[in-house]
Amino acid sequence: MRIFHNLNVNWMGMRKTFYILSLALFLIGMLNVVFRGLVFGIDFKGGSEIVLQFEKPVDVATIRNDLANIGLGAVEVRTFGAETGILVRTELQEIPKEIYPKVVERIRENINKILPGVPYQLVDSTINSVTIEFTNPDTTNTMIAELFALGFQTGKVSEELDNKQMLVRVGIADWIKEVLREKVKDNPFQVVKEDRVGPKIGEELKRDAVLAVLLSLLVILIYLGFRFKFVFAVGAVTALFHDVLITVGLYAVLYGLIPGLNLEIDLPVVAAFLTLVGYSINDTVIVFDRIRENMKIHKTMGLEELINKSINQTMSRTIITGVTTLLAVFVLFLLGGDVLRAFSFTLLFGIIIGTYSSIFVASAMVLDYAQKTKKKVQFS
Amino acid sequence: MKEYRFRIIIILAAIALSIYLLYPTFLDYQNNKHIQSVVEQKKQEILNQNPTISKSELEELLTIVEDSIKQSDPSFIENRLKRLKLGLDLQGGMRVVLEVNTAKLLEKLANNPDQVFTSALAEAKKEAETSDESVVEILARKFQQKGIRLSRYFGNIRQDDAEIIAQLKKDSEDAVTRAMEIIRNRVDQYGVSEPSIQRQGSRRIIVELPGVAKEEEAKQLLQGTALLEFRLVKDPDFTYQIMERIDKALAKVLAAGNDSLLAELTDTTKKSDTTALADTTQKQLTEEEFKQQHPFFSVALLDPQGRSADAFVKEDDRNKIQRWLSLPEVKKEIPDNVEFVFSAKPISTTQDGKKVYFMYLVNKQPELTGGVVTNAVATLDPNTSAPIVNMEMNSEGAVEWARITGANIGKRIAIMLDGKVFSAPVVRGKIPGGRSQIEGMENLDEAKLLEIVLKAGALPAPVDVIEERIVGPSLGEDSVRGGLSAAIYGYIAVALFMIIYYRQSGSIAAAVLILTILFILSILAGFKATLTLPGIAGIVLTIGMAVDANVLIFERMREELATGKTLKASIDSGFSKAMSAIIDSNITTFFTGIILYQFGTGPVQGFALTLMIGIASTLFSALVISRLIFDYLASKGAKISIG
Repeated sequence: MRIFHNLNVNWMGMRKTFYILSLALFLIGMLNVVFRGLVFGIDFKGGSEIVLQFEKPVDVATIRNDLANIGLGAVEVRTFGAETGILVRTELQEIPKEIYPKVVERIRENINKILPGVPYQLVDSTINSVTIEFTNPDTTNTMIAELFALGFQTGKVSEELDNKQMLVRVGIADWIKEVLREKVKDNPFQVVKEDRVGPKIGEELKRDAVLAVLLSLLVILIYLGFRFKFVFAVGAVTALFHDVLITVGLYAVLYGLIPGLNLEIDLPVVAAFLTLVGYSINDTVIVFDRIRENMKIHKTMGLEELINKSINQTMSRTIITGVTTLLAVFVLFLLGGDVLRAFSFTLLFGIIIGTYSSIFVASAMVLDYAQKTKKKVQFS
Repeated sequence: MKEYRFRIIIILAAIALSIYLLYPTFLDYQNNKHIQSVVEQKKQEILNQNPTISKSELEELLTIVEDSIKQSDPSFIENRLKRLKLGLDLQGGMRVVLEVNTAKLLEKLANNPDQVFTSALAEAKKEAETSDESVVEILARKFQQKGIRLSRYFGNIRQDDAEIIAQLKKDSEDAVTRAMEIIRNRVDQYGVSEPSIQRQGSRRIIVELPGVAKEEEAKQLLQGTALLEFRLVKDPDFTYQIMERIDKALAKVLAAGNDSLLAELTDTTKKSDTTALADTTQKQLTEEEFKQQHPFFSVALLDPQGRSADAFVKEDDRNKIQRWLSLPEVKKEIPDNVEFVFSAKPISTTQDGKKVYFMYLVNKQPELTGGVVTNAVATLDPNTSAPIVNMEMNSEGAVEWARITGANIGKRIAIMLDGKVFSAPVVRGKIPGGRSQIEGMENLDEAKLLEIVLKAGALPAPVDVIEERIVGPSLGEDSVRGGLSAAIYGYIAVALFMIIYYRQSGSIAAAVLILTILFILSILAGFKATLTLPGIAGIVLTIGMAVDANVLIFERMREELATGKTLKASIDSGFSKAMSAIIDSNITTFFTGIILYQFGTGPVQGFALTLMIGIASTLFSALVISRLIFDYLASKGAKISIG
């Protein structure tokens, strides 16, 4: 089968159209980035996130209502995977001071329910836990076991035999779970995933991600510098920024528009962007490589014609490689599960835009640059 | 044929090696399936016999069954170690990043902290949250601004600021080492399989616990203070008596027909060295009889020549002994004030690679707890150059210590951290003044470990959880399933496309692609790398990109054929002309892979790794294997269609 056999299209003649198309995509994306913003996952923002799997389907709106006034401020609730999965997220990492007494009160209530009238005292309370002392070690052990069975995170303060102190954790996730256990009594759940990222780690991850992106751009520039003359590097790098920025723009445009597609920028997404950078430059390099080869064969041919010829010759390879990669990534997008959805979406769209840019943007830039500077384009 | 021989050998060797590397993974999968089915069957049996059994009891029984199956065949464990490991995101588990709380540590280290100190520390702590500078540096700067010398709070008066800063930095790094040792000790106790405890930078510890179900319990293990105790080790005679009584009681339980006990005993039959070490008076009995009559001594082995009653216990037998000791019939034979404890580190290894631990009988009541230790230093004895640890105690502890050592000359005192014995030195004489010297370490490393342990009681390292990620087992399973089906359908889609578009050449490419995937997985297994969900994504992506090399070659071959060349000539020039493009089209992706590997964490590193390995495998498959197939077919005069 041959689809792109003996193509003879004057791509460069159409380059104005493509410039306008690219510019439009770019502007739409950037406007959305500016006005709607990009949404970062907790990897970069820091915060707490838990995913719960209920036994029966749950209504997100009800859960959202249940969690609206528990003192955690804006809690984000949405479905995760099937309709029995719920994702709850907050930017907080610790229980706010105002509801801390409420949380402690809840523990007191439960202690009284288990052993009514048992004497105890609160000996210490930190932001993450409270320490309660009972009168004897046995009561302590019973209480630890009973409260743990109820879903509290309890533990002994020390392993010493006469330990009378019990530690109860009071993290964000614990509070959310506790509230939901109370409010959704008829539908038990289990914790599927629990993430907590401290603000410092978030900052570091963000810095690392930015560094990684910059470094790969640098490496690619060095590589192109070795491989081609300046003119071509200009084209390739423009195409690269074109791909990444338009894909980033798409994130801002589509965020929240497609149900089930959660376009948040987290670590795997950054990895996808870097992969995209590598992939997109490859396509460009292959077209350029052909231009260089044709220059040697057709010494008298004009640059525009030369570029057209090269694009036509490599079109088949470019499209087919794009198609096979797209096929694989599309399957990944469909079947890879929720965790990989944003990741595969980035690749899916990035490959399309990358293929487009290596044909229409990179070479066109070279041509325009060469015509403007009126220099004879040379390689190596 | 002859001209291809070398290449054929290389390819076959590569394939054979891959299969060899992946075979344990396959076996491990089979073993797990087998164990699952046996356990499930057993569960039904138990439920039928005893429908009212409590959940925890049932779980305990099933663990016994599972353990005994695993122990019955050492190859189970061997395969498990060699298998392709799955990341936490695929098998479920917990990843925690801990950071030593330097501010708290400084507070503890400070001499006579006053208002000025606390407020400066609080400020420094706040600043450190948003800065790259460490708390120590910021605090030092703050004091400098105020014109206060650091020696007012730390170290001694003769030291200058730079010296103290260096010392404090070292202290905080030591705190990390200590925290790691404490955590390792506890995780070990908790029985998590294949835990990973790593140090990251100067202040962080990354702990990965695969498959942990009770996250909170595990989290408690990671934080909280460690308990250092000094406990008296019982006399050998007394210990031996108790052991004999336990042995008799167990034999009686056994004779009464306790099923699970019987099962546990019978699967120890393969341990041929059991009787070798055992009491000499029992030699005339056959191995089986010995086990029936002396169940306890068949797992807790005593040195027949030795005067000590420290029993040798193999790693797998520790839990078993613990269970036996908790049987009511056995429990009543052990006095209330003593208990059996194990050494923290293995003392030797058996021929079949099992670790052996010491078991001691010690008082339940500690003579002293670790709060009294003020310092410990591992060093070499200037006279004998043997490794020693010098330990210092505060005045309160020293008084007690003098009394304890004075009353127990010639006896042993076990130094225990969180219930495990790190050392059990003999008391040579009364130690007044709290300065003790501990000897008997094999090397300086061992002495260093004891130093860490002693300090853990003195100066617990306060650690904060700064990142935690927990993946439940169900999400892990879903991810594995999703990833696997994406890989399979992704392959089918790409293979179909290639066959339709390039006909026979496409089929060759599709077949070779399978080998590429095989290579990726086996290299991962061979390097003991971990397969994560993004890693699977990397494989799927590789499936899509791998055919690129073939496409480049085929397109060139078509062009060459169109100029009227023969098939053989077209193959030659197709491959050689496509070469530079193939290298080009992979090298940048490879570069980004390297960078991602450097900057990424956990799962993302998995992606970067599979991407890089994928590229290498692709090049080998396309340039060597495909080439060989084409050359061979062309030399046979076969016609290969390229669509």
